[in-house]
Amino acid sequence: MKWVVIGAHLLRDDIESPAEPIAAGELFLSGLAIPDEQPAGDRELLLRVARLRAALLDRATFIAIRYGFVITSRDEVAAKCAPHFARWRELLEKHRGQVEMTMKVVATTHAETPQRQNFTSGAEYLRALHAATKAVTIDPSFREEAERLLADGRWLHRDNQSLELAALVARDDVEKVKHNGIALKERFPQVAFLLSGPWPLEVFGE
Amino acid sequence: MPEDLEELSLLETLDHLLDRGVVIAGDAVISIGDVDLLYLGLNIVLANVDAIIRTGRK
Repeated sequence: MKWVVIGAHLLRDDIESPAEPIAAGELFLSGLAIPDEQPAGDRELLLRVARLRAALLDRATFIAIRYGFVITSRDEVAAKCAPHFARWRELLEKHRGQVEMTMKVVATTHAETPQRQNFTSGAEYLRALHAATKAVTIDPSFREEAERLLADGRWLHRDNQSLELAALVARDDVEKVKHNGIALKERFPQVAFLLSGPWPLEVFGE
Repeated sequence: MPEDLEELSLLETLDHLLDRGVVIAGDAVISIGDVDLLYLGLNIVLANVDAIIRTGRK
């Protein structure tokens, strides 16, 4: 048996079946037990974890651990996660009443994707990819309104086609933010964007 | 929910699952038969190529 680790939680009661609580210092990790022979890339498993992640978030805010962290023994947790425990606890206590929301905005201008075959150096190729990602711009007036909707957010350059804004939102305000997102769409019909959430602490959990 | 919105929601969910959150160092042993051939220290077990490149830049 092995466990796909889903997140770090403040309380044991924040974790519901079929996820199992795994002690992690003063915290608990949620893990989904799977057979040893089941690969982590299994499509059904991915979907199962995605559903479970949403159910856990309904219960309480947690720090998301990127999919792919699989342990074969509960003892591995302390060895691999102990350096994070103090910070995780601080973040979980501070943001217990909040969730993340993100807005992905299609770029107004962007650089072309560098083509691997045009580079003789891998480092140069990676630098070009980085520069292309940073070159993305969006409508400044929309950007201002987005920052008003998702206050104190962080803009993330994730690719060379879009920009993403992530912010913490009080759980009680999620519906209001979604409603205001619809109003924003009506005001800026020319801007393609996707407002999504609630999500666990992903950007703000790092 | 309309089908296209369901698909969008699923894609977005999987994007968050695979490309967000804390990365924990892991490890893997690649074996053929019963022989362990390679030990790899990993930061990510499963991710798309762009995500790996971004992680490398952090």
